[in-house]
Amino acid sequence: MLRVTNIDVAYKDVQVLWDVTFEVNQGEFVALLGANGAGKTTTLNAISGLLKVKKGSIEFLGKDITQLPGYKIAELGIIHVPEGRRLFPEMTVRENLEMGSLFPEAKAKRKDTMKKIFEQFPILEEKQYKEAGTLSGGQQQMLALGRGLMALPKLLILDEPSLGLAPVLVTQIFEQIKEINNEGVTVLQVEQNVVQTLKMCHRAYVLENGKIYTQGTGEKLLNDEHIKQAYLGI
Amino acid sequence: MEDAWIKFGQTVICGILLGGMYSLIAIGMTLIMGVMKIVNLAHGALVMVGMYVVYICATNYGIDPYIGMFIAMPVLFFLGCLIQKYMINRLVEVDSILPENQVLLTVGIMLVLTEGIRLFFKSDYRSVVTSYSSDTLYIGAMSISVPLVIGFIIAMAFTFLLHMFLTKSDLGKSIRATAQDRDAAIFMGVNSSKITMITFGLGAALAAAGGSLLLPLFYLFPDVGHLFTAKSFIITILGGLGSTWGAAIGGLVIGLSESLGATYISMGYKDVVGLVMFILVLLFLPGGIRSLVKR
Repeated sequence: MLRVTNIDVAYKDVQVLWDVTFEVNQGEFVALLGANGAGKTTTLNAISGLLKVKKGSIEFLGKDITQLPGYKIAELGIIHVPEGRRLFPEMTVRENLEMGSLFPEAKAKRKDTMKKIFEQFPILEEKQYKEAGTLSGGQQQMLALGRGLMALPKLLILDEPSLGLAPVLVTQIFEQIKEINNEGVTVLQVEQNVVQTLKMCHRAYVLENGKIYTQGTGEKLLNDEHIKQAYLGI
Repeated sequence: MEDAWIKFGQTVICGILLGGMYSLIAIGMTLIMGVMKIVNLAHGALVMVGMYVVYICATNYGIDPYIGMFIAMPVLFFLGCLIQKYMINRLVEVDSILPENQVLLTVGIMLVLTEGIRLFFKSDYRSVVTSYSSDTLYIGAMSISVPLVIGFIIAMAFTFLLHMFLTKSDLGKSIRATAQDRDAAIFMGVNSSKITMITFGLGAALAAAGGSLLLPLFYLFPDVGHLFTAKSFIITILGGLGSTWGAAIGGLVIGLSESLGATYISMGYKDVVGLVMFILVLLFLPGGIRSLVKR
């Protein structure tokens, strides 16, 4: 579904990604793991068109999207839920959700999708007329997920949904993500929370210093000596 | 005693009425500031151009200023879009040492517009005289000029329409979303460069509307724009940068304080009152009115 082939990405003169190649298949839950500064967010930003790719190509559903502007990539069905949630703080919860469904197709189903999201996250319905900035961290993450889902995404890109959340909330959010994936949305997730992510995802890629270090199923990586040492501290 | 109260009441009412029109201009500036994060120092010049459009309509074609306004607004919307897309946007795309380059460019645009207009119209003071220009309305013993009242009502109507547009329509929401978090808006599929262009056009159209409403009350000359840039800048600071409601209230405050200053201090010092408030706000309430409402 998504095929990233040999991409190089640089911020001005500083190159961050070297020859990164990976793919995500329809219906999969793929994780992109790595330490701080490994290039995870950069990879995601390159996919969603916020950053220009220096070399290589990105294909989505057989279409080359390497040079497309960000909003067109979103229109194709790649919805990016960014790191730190990035809600619209002075808009209400409801308005934030509406912002997720701007495209004609999603807009036509706006009411139904919103109803479904309110069923999944009842707290959002309760707070629908509150400004997003007044929500707690966990609620904000739910809203960020909900806003992404409003677009009826084909591929949902999640950047550290566990960031800054209490452990119990992390488990809750992860379960919600798993459920979203079970309902047929393909998920590409970046995480620093390595163990929980590996247990949950189908496959994972590990980024180190801007290069893909290794890849495999969650189970295989959990037993990898290097991963154990570097990320699990065992 | 009685007379003193009448004088006071009249001053307050005229101030608020005038302030409503200032609000409209300042809201245009604050919209642009919210989305582009720059102070548009050409804003007053856009007001001035809008006023000249109405002036031409009125003197050459006999179109009433309040109808001419609906010609000036689309003209300025278009002009605003062009300026944003082909001038300011070029600087957004380029990495520069000074992020203030965009602000400097708006100063340049202001100069070009002002001197361009001077080329055609000279520096003469002009005014549009209508049958109702000097009509007055009496509330008890207080006399209020009719153009002030009409101007205020139209300005408030526009403010209300704009509010509905920004809160109810997807396009309006996209403008607010882009102002609050541009990248997140792009992730949601908002074409941010289009939104920026439309916002600039909208800001310019509001400037034209405000200018048209003030035309029956002010003399028109090419440099009149500076006055409006300064006023709307003060109002936006007073209201809190990027806040539409702050600008609406800030406009009323400035109108009121100018009016009080003109009556009780001296006509010549009326602009000083606004500037003094500007300094006081920066010193004691740097977040503006918006920070009072928030938390």
